[in-house]
Amino acid sequence: MTDTPPDVSIKSARKLFLSGASIVWIIPLLALFVALGVAWNSFNARGPQIFVEFEKGSGIKAGETELRFRDVTVGRVEEVGFSAGLGKVVATIRVDKDVAQFIDNSAAFWIIQPEVSAQGITGLSTVLSGVYIEGSWNEEIGDFEDRFVGADSAPLIRAGQTGLQIAFRTVGNGHLTDDAPILYRGIEVGRLGKAQIAPRGNFAIVEALIYDDHRDLVNTSTRFWDSSGFRLSIGPSGAEVDFESIATLIGGGVTFDTFVSGGDRVQDGTVFEIFPTKEEARSAVFNASAVDPLKLSVIFDENVSGLAVGAPVELSGLTIGEVESLSGIVDYNQFGDSRVRLNVTLSLQPARLGLPGAVSATSALAFLQDRVSNGLRARLASASLLTGGLKVELVTVADAPDAQLVAVDDALPVMPTTKNETSDAAATVEGVFSRINNLPIEELLNSAIGLMNSAQMLIGSDEIQQTPRDVRTLINEVTGLVSSDSVRNIPVSLNATLSRVETLVATLEQEQMAKRLMEAVDAVSGAADAFSTSTEGVPELIAEMQTVAAKAGEIELQQLVDEMTAVTRSADAVIGTPDAIALPGSLKNALDELNYTLQELREGGAVENVNQTLASARNAADNIAVSAKDLPQIVDRLSALFDQASRTIEGYNQGDQISRTAQNTLRDIQKAADALASLARTIERNPNSLLLGR
Amino acid sequence: MGTQTCARCGHKMVSRDFGSLQRVWAFWIMGLMCYVPANTYPMLQTRTLFQSDESTIVGGAVELAQHGAFGIAFIILLASVAIPLAKFWAIAFLAVSVKSRRATANHSRQIMYEVVEYIGRWSMIDIFVVAILSSLVQLNTLASINPGPASMFFALSVIFTMLSAQAFDSRMIWDEQAKDEDPS
Repeated sequence: MTDTPPDVSIKSARKLFLSGASIVWIIPLLALFVALGVAWNSFNARGPQIFVEFEKGSGIKAGETELRFRDVTVGRVEEVGFSAGLGKVVATIRVDKDVAQFIDNSAAFWIIQPEVSAQGITGLSTVLSGVYIEGSWNEEIGDFEDRFVGADSAPLIRAGQTGLQIAFRTVGNGHLTDDAPILYRGIEVGRLGKAQIAPRGNFAIVEALIYDDHRDLVNTSTRFWDSSGFRLSIGPSGAEVDFESIATLIGGGVTFDTFVSGGDRVQDGTVFEIFPTKEEARSAVFNASAVDPLKLSVIFDENVSGLAVGAPVELSGLTIGEVESLSGIVDYNQFGDSRVRLNVTLSLQPARLGLPGAVSATSALAFLQDRVSNGLRARLASASLLTGGLKVELVTVADAPDAQLVAVDDALPVMPTTKNETSDAAATVEGVFSRINNLPIEELLNSAIGLMNSAQMLIGSDEIQQTPRDVRTLINEVTGLVSSDSVRNIPVSLNATLSRVETLVATLEQEQMAKRLMEAVDAVSGAADAFSTSTEGVPELIAEMQTVAAKAGEIELQQLVDEMTAVTRSADAVIGTPDAIALPGSLKNALDELNYTLQELREGGAVENVNQTLASARNAADNIAVSAKDLPQIVDRLSALFDQASRTIEGYNQGDQISRTAQNTLRDIQKAADALASLARTIERNPNSLLLGR
Repeated sequence: MGTQTCARCGHKMVSRDFGSLQRVWAFWIMGLMCYVPANTYPMLQTRTLFQSDESTIVGGAVELAQHGAFGIAFIILLASVAIPLAKFWAIAFLAVSVKSRRATANHSRQIMYEVVEYIGRWSMIDIFVVAILSSLVQLNTLASINPGPASMFFALSVIFTMLSAQAFDSRMIWDEQAKDEDPS
């Protein structure tokens, strides 16, 4: 049986989709997925765009300028363009998605750029990095908005910032500066915004922010004043220059204080007035005080002019109120006579007393009643010496008679008074004049006149006028002396003397001075050799020299100088008189005589002799110069001598024998010295003996 | 019938690699995909003290040309734009021509293939320049040059086109001719 296998039907296998696809296709597919994923992700994470309008571009660059919120980048400018009609610059900003939801109508945008002002330098970091846009919005999610108008400058109160928001009003030519600080005791506690003119134009208004930490410093009785610039005041306490700080001096500022107690908490939006000075701010406390003033009546016995309505009432120097009204009062029943008295109504501000607790007229009255029973009295005092204005002072008098501050019926309580202390300027000036009047001016003048008369008589006396004449006589006598024969003979004697000197010098030349000098030096050298073995005699020698020097010093030079000075003074005194004019004639005579004498001198041959003498002296000098050539030798010898001496001194300590020898030597030297001394004496007596060698 | 291996190098011996064309196209597409961001993203990020600047390949070349450096701009355009584009075209042309009859001579197609393979590695010169620049100019805040994201995509693009060219089995060029000559 041959079975043929049945035909196998071959059908081509159904080709599976992608069966022939290489595995490498996974790579592009994967890449495609990744790319799609990244694209979707970045599109999804992209935040919305907002459009902010600015007046000008101020360096905003598309793609670079950042939007920052609390100095953290939350967006980037994508495009800078113009609004329709080129009216404004529109920055299109792409904002981060997670921040975008907070950008609602509370958002504000402004450009941060470097700015130098009196308050300092801001935005310095933008010098290098370029400007950026700062945004501010609150922390609540609101309806998203995408169109904003950018502010010119940073808003004073940024959204989300807490603090007391108040406003200031100023009527005068205030000095409100934008962004000026609000200082309290020199510390910045707030900041002003931008000053604006109120809609009706009758005052300027500025927003201000007191930082949260300091909002308790401000209450309804706080008063603000302008602290910019400086104030120069000259008052009883001297000149005073007052300014807060350099920054406020230049940039302006506002400071404040609460002068009285009892203010209420301030609500946001309260408007305060800014006063030009602290004083005005202080006094303004009254005007706006909510508490009724305490009214008192004071009756002064003396009717002193000078008190006016509005004059201050002071307690311990502090102004606590003012005079409200003045009137005269005549009440025979009350005072016992019909004199007109001064009735003053005072209006006191209870708040200014600084009482603790509730501030009211009643509490102030109670306080004053207590003080009055302890001696508080009212009196009039001078407010100003120049104007003669008066003020009312409340002072405590130590031993005041008993009095009470009580209200009788419905009349005002009457404040007891004490002696006024008005210092009248006119009276004071009068006192000064009367004192000047009492001065013994006439006696003084009489004495002065007498003194002058005496002086004149003294000067006019004959004796004084005679003095120059005496001087003239003296000069005449001198002239006579000069013209006398003995004086005329002087040149002849001089001539003879010069001849002898000439002879002497000539002899000196012959005697060969130099050689002798050399010999003398040799001898001295020998003596010194002997001398070198000891040092004992030296101190004595020095002592003698000192004695000589002392004698020289004792010469009475000082006395001489004194006498000379006295003479000079006398001469001065004489020359001052009118008769001194006659002196030159006599002097001329004397000079003529002198001239004549000199002529005689010349004729007597004195000059020639002098010339000769000088020639001889030149020869002698030449010789001395020759012998001076030998000086180096002498110096060498001396140096050798000193060497020897030093060696000797070194060896001095070597033994007794040497010292004994030395003592002998010393004795010898003593003798030699004695001989030298006697030689010196001889020379002193007869100097020629040395020169002539005899 | 086991797989034959080369006695010398041990490589698997195959008569024809039929998956070749698929790999060529896959890598080619990858290369093209990478080439798009390589041109749109910045190639270099230059940061100096005052500003930072980012430039794409073409943008940088245009900027250079505006400064008058036409030679350098031309070289950049040639090496970074013209050659890669020519490579894409050449590989695509080769892959397509294998399937369809073409009048182009087989020999010139072979030469084209060899040129593409040879020139492929030279496209990396761009990346090389970027790498040298960014490693040389790093003066902290004063100035610094960093490679942009495009440099990575450009490198990937070059790598994928090289892979694509390598995946091409050049013997397929001649298969057509064999079919023509051996109709029996």
